[in-house]
Parts: sequence; structure tokens; C-alpha cells
Amino acid sequence: MTTDATSRPQHIEEILSGLDRYNPETVSVFQDYVQQQCDTRTYDNMANLALLKLYQFNPHLTRDETITNILVKALTVFPSPDFSLCLHLLPPNSLISPPIDTFAEAVQKLHLLSKQLEGAEYREFWSILDGDDLYADLVADCSGFEELMRLRIATAVAQAFREIKREILEGYLNMQGEAFEGFIKNVCVWTLEGERVKIPLNKENEAITTVTREVVKIDQFSRIFRRAYEQPC
Amino acid sequence: MLSSQRINGGNSRPLHDDDDTDEEALALTLVDALQDNEVYDDTEPRTGGVQISGDDIQQRLASAAQPLEFQATLGARFASYDNYCSLFHFILNSDGPVDLELPTYYWAWDVIDEFIYQFNSFCIHRNNVARKGQNEEEKQLLRDNPQTWGCYSVLNVLYSLIQRSQMNEQLASIKRGDDPNEVAGEYGSRPLYRMLGYFSIIGLLRVHCLLGDFTLALKTLDDIELNKKAVFARVMAAHFTTYMMMRRYADAIKAFSHILVYVSRTKGFQKNAQFDSITKKNDQMYALIAVCVALCPTRLDDTIHATLREKYGDQFQRMQRGGLDTLPIFEQLFNSACPKFISPIPPDFDKPENNIDPAQHHLQVFMSDVKNAMLGPTLKSFLKLYTTQDLHKLAGLIDLGPENLRTQLLVYKQRSRQTRWSEGGLLDGDIVNTSDLDFALEGDLIHISEAKTGRKLVDWYLRNLARTY
Repeated sequence: MTTDATSRPQHIEEILSGLDRYNPETVSVFQDYVQQQCDTRTYDNMANLALLKLYQFNPHLTRDETITNILVKALTVFPSPDFSLCLHLLPPNSLISPPIDTFAEAVQKLHLLSKQLEGAEYREFWSILDGDDLYADLVADCSGFEELMRLRIATAVAQAFREIKREILEGYLNMQGEAFEGFIKNVCVWTLEGERVKIPLNKENEAITTVTREVVKIDQFSRIFRRAYEQPC
Repeated sequence: MLSSQRINGGNSRPLHDDDDTDEEALALTLVDALQDNEVYDDTEPRTGGVQISGDDIQQRLASAAQPLEFQATLGARFASYDNYCSLFHFILNSDGPVDLELPTYYWAWDVIDEFIYQFNSFCIHRNNVARKGQNEEEKQLLRDNPQTWGCYSVLNVLYSLIQRSQMNEQLASIKRGDDPNEVAGEYGSRPLYRMLGYFSIIGLLRVHCLLGDFTLALKTLDDIELNKKAVFARVMAAHFTTYMMMRRYADAIKAFSHILVYVSRTKGFQKNAQFDSITKKNDQMYALIAVCVALCPTRLDDTIHATLREKYGDQFQRMQRGGLDTLPIFEQLFNSACPKFISPIPPDFDKPENNIDPAQHHLQVFMSDVKNAMLGPTLKSFLKLYTTQDLHKLAGLIDLGPENLRTQLLVYKQRSRQTRWSEGGLLDGDIVNTSDLDFALEGDLIHISEAKTGRKLVDWYLRNLARTY
């Protein structure tokens, strides 16, 4: 679950906390909000799920494009489970293979991307993304999609690596040459040493062996002490 | 897992052996109300043309809580829906709160439970009719009445009951330690509305869960403190699935262990037939915890672990070992224990092939996560042996390409970081490492670390000290 509630406008907050979230008339408000999230690179999962729920209840209002935009936005916050939470709210027939219509096809294409991300197959992710023109259409609305994805992948890499070969990281991020160097230095603040990229230590890539010891509190013995006073042996 | 307790007639009563509980208090106030018999002859319900007279209502109240026969006809289902509508309409929209003599102690729970169960089974039935498309007569009837047992009306009832009784406000004030009666208002201070309101929140959780909206389901429960012993087995079960579907396995296991310990402790006291339904539920929960533990290895409470081995020993062991060949076991356990998912909208009667079982859809989404976890156990068992190891060497040992291994390590890392609840709303939580094994890659060198737990001695000492006294 990733929700950036700080940037949530007042009127959306009001709809979400009241019963208006079931009101079909709010669909257009939510749709605009999704568009706004795409434009401003913000993300509000609660609002998007509420919209998907409205679609679920009122299928005639469904706008396929908005749904795919929501799914694309959900991709940009992997590895959080948002993408599958969205999938759960889609019509059950959207995952049957072969797809029953163009919408189902789009959903399944995005699901494929999501599977690559969850399987950490980042190279594969980029090559699938670049290999089909349909994807270009799907992610077109979401501004900065590729950059957002790179940031997420970089975060995942920083969790696991202290040092990684340049060539591998280039593949993960789908970037080469100066663009790659700029991204490493300016965005991630990592250092490049020859053919290796050094990633500073953080909480996740330290991997320190810890031993948890039992914490003994005097309270635990209170009964024993009391008994000792009550009936001396 | 929410509805298959029907074998025994469905009015499964709350587990009822703890004294200091909210429900208990609510129930007691209800009994008080039962004792002072009020006359309600002069209530004039406006129930959409149906007049409910004083004599009649007792029967209606009783029948509302009665489970429908298993093979009820479509007509009976429609009639039952109309009954509920007029009954709830009467309760909610009369002039001021109504006074009712309730037929049984657990009426409020039973009625909400039955209401949702019938909604659930109706939707499943409708979907089946559309999918199989054999019974033309039923098909036409369903096509003509898309509004019957509609999602909106069911939610409307539950939300109205909650609002009328100001239940969320009341619970929030109980949490703060204030007197809930101050915020309860005209309706909420009455036991009938209070009970209905409270159980409606739980009902709402179930409906959201059935529809696949796990986020909202959990949010609904924000004000109810689930970790109190007060809560019923089935509620915990729903709560637990929710976390599971949000991939917060650690939280799921915690919530779940809690209730199982509780059930196993109270088992001795429950001699009635209704307990059978809880036993069934219990088995389903064991199935789910087995799935969760396989996905996120955790030390379980000893009693739970023992029972788990007894019930699902073979499957559990194989799931823990991992590997692609265990996927069917995950599927099987998930199917046997998941809620009976439904789709909120009338199906497409014209194209039967377009209607698939919603449970299948949810299973498919869930399984795509499970598939990713399959190499985890193997990886872990190898990593455990070393403090540092070369990637290529390890790849050779596991019989995997080095590239592939690197990917799997990333997956392992990703999966071990989960959101875990610490305090505040149920959706909140911090991202923590749930695995006892951690590692970092320095180029091709894997550094492995383990979080060890020292021996726990205090309990042992205390137990033995207590024995010597």
C-alpha cells in the first residue's frame, strides 16, 4: 500500500471519507484526479481503488483508458502490492486467456509487465516494454513513466547491492553512456569506479548478523517475589 | 471461508466465554431491554406499502434470522429479499427509533449474518445460472430483476445501520475512554440499534472482502480493536485473509495465531452443535496459515504448529520445501479456504463464456505472487550454510544460471520486506525485514547474515519456580 495522502486535495478527501465514494456521480471527479496524478507524478492509491470500485458497481460508466492509467500508475510503485489490489477489483473475465476484448488484452499486457517487475526481471521488463507499440500507448498518459520506473528499480538494487557491475546495472535501468552516468551521480548519488558502481551502505544492504537477546524485566518476577513474602518457606 | 459454515444452519453464535468484552456488554444491555416489554402497537411503519402489525413482526423478526434452505428456489430468494427490505426499512425509517421485542439473544448478529449469507449465495447462484445457461426460466427472471439483492442496496442497509447508531463515533469514543452514550444519539443509545450497528461494521468487512476490495475492508475495521479476545472467529478469519491478499503475511500470521489459540482454549467449553461450524472454519484457517507460513517462514505458537502438522502435515511440508511442483497445493488450499468471492454486478446472460467464477480471478492474481516465492526455500537453505559465498559458485550448487540467481536474490530481498502493523490504523505499518536471513551483494560476492534469537530462559525459570512453591 502506497498512498501519498499529503498531496490529496481536500475535495477528494471528503468524498473518500464519506458515503459519496459510492456515488456514481463522483466518477468524473475521480477520473480527473487520475489524470492529475498522471500529469503531476503523484500517486493516491485510495482514490484510485475507490474509482475502480465505482466502476465495479456501475460497469456502464467504465472508461477503459482510465483503468489502464490506474494500472500503469500502480506499476510505478512496485514492489508494493497495489497492482494486484487493483486487479482484484477488475471484472473477473479480464484475465481469461485469450483476452476477450481489447481492454482485457491491455490489462493482460500490463499484468505481464508487473510479473517481470515482481520477478526482478528488469532487463526483460524493458525489452517487453520497448518491443510492443501498444505499451507506448498505454504508458503515454503517465508522465515520466520511465524515470519513475528507473527510480524504483534503483531502490530495489540499493536494497540488495553494495557494489554492482556497470554493465548489469545498465541493463537493469535500460540506460547507457552519459545518461547512465548522470543518473547514477545526480539522481542516486552513487559513485562510479571503473566498471563498478559503488552503492553507499544503507539499512537494507548492511546485512549485519544480529542476536536478539531476551529482555528480562523485574515485573515478570513480581509474582515470585510476592509469594516469597506471603508464605516464607 | 466466510460462508461455508452453513452445514449447521448458519446461526453460528459468537464465541462467548470471555467476560470482559464489549459484545458481552452490548448483549447484556440487550437483555435488559428485552425485560422491559414495551408496547409497540402504535408504531406506524412506512414500509413501502407493507404494513407490519405487532403480531406479525415477531414472526418476521424470527424468520429474518432463520437460514434459508440450502436448495431454496429463486422465488424464495426473491421473497426473502423483499422481507429484508421491508424489515430494515421499518427499523430505519419509522418516525424515531422503534422498540422491538427480539426473539432471541443473538438476533442482531444472526440477522446480519443471514442477510449477507443470502446476498452471497444469491450472487453465486446468479453467476452459475449465467455461466451454465441451462435454466432459461431462471435466466429470464434474473435478467428482469437486476436490482434484487443488488450490491448498492446491501451496502446501503449496512451503512444506514452504522450511521443511525453512530457506531463509528461510539467506538472511537470508547477507544478514547469516553462515555459512548454522549455521542450515541437518539438511535445509538438503544441496544437494538447499537447491536445492529456494531455487527453491520463486521458485515461490511465481509462484503468488501467478498467483492475483492481488501483495502477498504480493512479500513472499515479501524475503530474495532481486533486483537481483543472479544472478536468472533469468523471476523478474524476475514481480517486475516485481508492481510494475506495485501501480501502482509507477517500480519496475517499474527492475527491468525491469535484467534486460533483462543479457539483452541475455549474448545472445551463449546459443547453445542454450533461449535461444529467454527471447527470447520478453524480448519480453513489452518489451511490459510499453512499457505502464509510457507510464503513467509515464521515461528508459530507450539500448539498451532502441532495442530497444523496434524491436519495438513504433508501439504505443509511440501509447501515449505517450495518448487514449482507445489503450486497445485497452494491452489488447492486457497480454494478450499478462501471466501466465496462474488461479483457485484449481474452477469452477462447472453455470453455465458464471458462469465467466469470470481474466485478463479482472485486465485489467478494471488497465484502470480505465489509463483515468485517458489525458489525462496531452496535459496534460503543454501544461504544459511555460508557467511560469504561467490555468486557463480552458489549458482553452480543450486543448478541455476548466475544471472538467474542474481534475479532470484533480488526477488528474495523484495519479498522479505513487508509492511507490518505497529500502531494506529489497520492499514498503516512500517516496512520491516520479516526474514531471519539477510544478505548483501558486493559485486559477485554474497555477504550473508542471520538474525539469531538467543535462548529464552525466563519463562522456563518462572515455570519451574512456580512449581516449587
